[in-house]
Amino acid sequence: MGTENPGRPNFPMRPSFTPFASAPPTVRPFSPSGPGTGSESSNFRPIPPGAPPTMTPFSAAGPSPPVRFSDPSVPSAPIASVPPSGAPYQRFPTPPFPSAAQAPPNRAPPMGQPPFQPPAGQISVPPPFFRPQTQVLPVPMGSPPQNANFPPSSMNVPQPPTDSSLSGPRPNFQPPFPGYPSKQPAVSQAPSPFPAQQGSFMPPPASPSPFPSQQGSYGPPPVSATLGYQSRDQMQHPGSAPPTGGVQRLTEDFSSLSVQSIPGTNDPGLDNRSLPRPLDGDVVPSSFLEMYPMNCDPRYLRLTTAAIPNSQSLVARWHLPLGAVVCPLAEAPEGEEVPVINFASTGIIRCRRCRTYVNPYVTFTDAGRKWRCNICSLLNDVPGEYFANLDATGRRIDLDQRPELIKGSVEFVAPTEYMVRPPMPPLYFFLIDVSISAVRSGMIEVVAETIRSCLDELPGFPRTQIGFITYDSTVHFYNMKSSLTQPQMMVVSDLDDIFVPLPDDLLVNFSESRNVVETFLDSLPSMFQDNVNVESAFGPALKAAFMVMSQLGGKLLIFQNSLPSLGVGRLKLRGDDLRVYGTDEEHILRLPEDPFYKQMAADLTKYQIGVNIYAFSDKYTDIASLGTLAKYTGGQVYYYPSFRSGIHGDKLRHELARDLTRETAWEAVMRIRCGKGIRFTSYHGNFMLRSTDLLALPTVDCDKAYAMQLSLEETLLTTQTVYFQVALLYTASCGERRIRVYTAAAPVVTDLGEMYRQADTGAIFSLFSRLAIEKTLTGKLEDARNSLQLMLVKALREYRNLYSVQHRLGARMIYPESLKFLCLYGLALFKSVPLKGGYADVQLDERCAAGFTMMALPVKKLLKLLYPSLIRIDEYLLKPSAQADDFKNIMKRLPLVSENLDSRGLYIYDDGFRFVIWFGRMVSPDIAKNLLGPDFAAELSRVTLTEHDNEMSRRLMKILKKLRESDPSYYQLPYLVRQGEQPREGLLLLVNLIEDQMGGTTGYANWITLIHRQVQQN
Amino acid sequence: MAWDLIFWVICFFINIALLASSFYQLISLSDLEADHLNPFEATTRINSIVLPEFLVQGFLCLSFLLTWHWFMFLFTVPITAYHLMLYLNQKHLLDVTEIFRDLNTEKKYRFVKLAIYLLLFTVVLFRLVISAFNSLHDEVDVHTY
Repeated sequence: MGTENPGRPNFPMRPSFTPFASAPPTVRPFSPSGPGTGSESSNFRPIPPGAPPTMTPFSAAGPSPPVRFSDPSVPSAPIASVPPSGAPYQRFPTPPFPSAAQAPPNRAPPMGQPPFQPPAGQISVPPPFFRPQTQVLPVPMGSPPQNANFPPSSMNVPQPPTDSSLSGPRPNFQPPFPGYPSKQPAVSQAPSPFPAQQGSFMPPPASPSPFPSQQGSYGPPPVSATLGYQSRDQMQHPGSAPPTGGVQRLTEDFSSLSVQSIPGTNDPGLDNRSLPRPLDGDVVPSSFLEMYPMNCDPRYLRLTTAAIPNSQSLVARWHLPLGAVVCPLAEAPEGEEVPVINFASTGIIRCRRCRTYVNPYVTFTDAGRKWRCNICSLLNDVPGEYFANLDATGRRIDLDQRPELIKGSVEFVAPTEYMVRPPMPPLYFFLIDVSISAVRSGMIEVVAETIRSCLDELPGFPRTQIGFITYDSTVHFYNMKSSLTQPQMMVVSDLDDIFVPLPDDLLVNFSESRNVVETFLDSLPSMFQDNVNVESAFGPALKAAFMVMSQLGGKLLIFQNSLPSLGVGRLKLRGDDLRVYGTDEEHILRLPEDPFYKQMAADLTKYQIGVNIYAFSDKYTDIASLGTLAKYTGGQVYYYPSFRSGIHGDKLRHELARDLTRETAWEAVMRIRCGKGIRFTSYHGNFMLRSTDLLALPTVDCDKAYAMQLSLEETLLTTQTVYFQVALLYTASCGERRIRVYTAAAPVVTDLGEMYRQADTGAIFSLFSRLAIEKTLTGKLEDARNSLQLMLVKALREYRNLYSVQHRLGARMIYPESLKFLCLYGLALFKSVPLKGGYADVQLDERCAAGFTMMALPVKKLLKLLYPSLIRIDEYLLKPSAQADDFKNIMKRLPLVSENLDSRGLYIYDDGFRFVIWFGRMVSPDIAKNLLGPDFAAELSRVTLTEHDNEMSRRLMKILKKLRESDPSYYQLPYLVRQGEQPREGLLLLVNLIEDQMGGTTGYANWITLIHRQVQQN
Repeated sequence: MAWDLIFWVICFFINIALLASSFYQLISLSDLEADHLNPFEATTRINSIVLPEFLVQGFLCLSFLLTWHWFMFLFTVPITAYHLMLYLNQKHLLDVTEIFRDLNTEKKYRFVKLAIYLLLFTVVLFRLVISAFNSLHDEVDVHTY
């Protein structure tokens, strides 16, 4: 340990390390020297007092000593080995790092901030060559003597060796963007800039870490020779191979895990606790936005890697999906709404050739008379009304009044050229199954009640149109004319040739016919309560609804309770056949059985009708066929197996209300444009393609995301930057035609390592999951999983090959810091409902419904579903007085391992779609009594959770409410389960603890070993 | 010999029809790709002539068999078999919802078919000319004697 590095004595004085603004290496993992280690301090080359102090993101001014960064288990490490030198900032001509402790808030989101990468400007410097030379620059700075060592351009952080000297969580900190010197955050004393630091893996110190999110993971180790840090593999494993005494003279910028399984044993040789886990949920790489601050917010558009490869050969080596995930109407937090711009007479400014909308990246030339399109570089004329002079720097003088020129996300009001027909009013049409099963389950009641309660909140008042059809073995139409006092029901029983009995008034303006509609909804449950009809004429009813709606388009909500059995589109009980699994016929079960559904879906899209399916049956309803309607019309599938209004009523109520009241865009089309040389080739999600690159979306809302893959058209990209522009043309509920435009820029890189560094795990898995689900529609489940695994292995192998030459990797599994959760999410995807197991593991309908749902989920929601949160709450419930800040602590997510379930505890498992509340066997009876009331001893499957009149119960409800509020798109219904209550416990919870080895599936540690082994086999 | 001539003339026209159908489908697909046609229209157009084409092609194949034109029969039978397979699997029609995903395969399939029809066309034309020549020659012979 702690060897000096005489080999590079002169580093600090390297002339190349001049002003930070131009200094290429950026990431400087912080590495405080160990506490009281004499030898250690010698690592830090004493800096000649006069030596130019070089960069110090962890700069001065921190009143608190760097102790904070060191391992908590080694408190108060005296770090200073170098006296402070004077004039710390003298070398920074550009705005120096503000000495403020915190990074500017906008660039240091509180959530795990992924390491930052050198941006485009630096990409030309081939990192591998670069790194070994750019050595740590110890910087004496600031009042508390402090040594910050920053191995350049790696996001990694020295891995703590086994001895305490270097241990401690090290933030991966990197000044976000050298190209923007003024933005250099000065990182300093407070741990807060690094709350999310999750590096690689060292078992967490026994003592609780002060960094809330640092659970068990530490920054990966750029082992810097100059520092004499121990090489990574030695530190990896306390207790594994003893340090070989060598000093790895290389700076590593990858993370690694030492995988040394002992042959013949089952022990994977991995410390379970040290594996990386996304306990902070979705972490959006901020680098992208920092590099191009005018980009749209990542909630709207995320690229799988924010570094676009410049050649096809590079694309071929990047085995992960290359593309983007777009959530065009993502909900913006208060104050960040997209500005609406009305060009009125000017007309919307667009490029003549490629039809790009004017955006912050266009450049104005010729004294402001022309503008150059950033996507196709065509010079366009600036219309007279839009003209503004340029100032000395070539910027328009009216920039502040032009949000479209400074913001990446804007909304234009579209003039009449953008309308095929005048904007239609929002239309909600309900197609309700009233056969006996629907009546029995209580679905009709809940639906009628919910619709009635949402009537006032339907968007688009007062133009909103509404209509109803109910059906069993016949189709019932309702005349809702405003002059009637109560609706007139018309029954059509000719299913073979369905017709609409009334030309209009089946669809009425809701504000005019309000009384009739309300009367109808009030009487609907009682009208059919004695219905004993078991048939379902779904197809004819759908056709009838289509005929009624085809004039206006709109949203069709279908409540289906049984298998369609009459008329066109009737389905067979093809069921789930065990024998089919594993054969080539397997996927056919997951495809629509009858071409009627695809054809109908296409027709519905053509007439701008979006379909949402609500399915309730306890028996097989062929979601695969029904869901097709939602898939191609931009809708979604809600599935409530074995619906009982007493149990699932709340869930349906909430989700239907959300569906009815959320802001919806109508008659939308979406296109994503990108710069020359690249092209989006495939699109994945719930929509239909209108032309090669135009997504038809009859209805869109904030809960839908679309993924697309891109490919290079030319062998070599010559531009430095590529631009993407998403344009969503839609009719707002208010009746205005609008265009939502998101613009983003991304650098073009020549280096594969850079692509990996800029990777976005969330976007990658959004694409991955869609690709895998699509694969299950054309082949076996196993094939889909295998191809997924192959992609993971290839990607990691390619990455390993990047470094295997210069680094002694040994038995380490290496991966980029940005993709540290790649394996875990891969495993989670394997075990996700649409992909897992085979016949017995998931019911076919459930599998299909989950598949349709996952095809539409936004990134954050998807990651939550893949790696749900597990929270222990008994301590909080028992605490005598609860403060608000307790709440934060309580939300600490635990790894999904069954070891974590303490039988004295009470846990909430939350995957975004449901809660499972797990009562340990030895949980105090008080808790159970308080929470469950008198039935605490009963079998929990029959108990529903209601609020009781005591503090504990109220607190639990508050927690649930908080968790639900964090994402309102679905309602999590609580399921109660007691430890040892089989098989419920297994089905509800244990099977979802994805890190565990459960009947035939791999555990996390074994999975890593497996992947590692495959990576090594070339 | 007149029957032979008539037969080849019929084959000739059938062949032209097949060529035209393939060509039309290809053009529709290219139009779709170039955004001159929307997928609904393109698939309706193509799907409406898929079955007639299959039938006509099947008829041609069968007539070769029944007239003992072994070579011609063997030449056309693979396509007939392929058509039959598509039909039995219910894959002969274009799927409007996924058409852009299948566009390239569909185009390739139709290009191959077009090429085969063209080849068939040359052979049929050749046989037609021979048969016409033969019948004329026969007539001449009759006149001579």
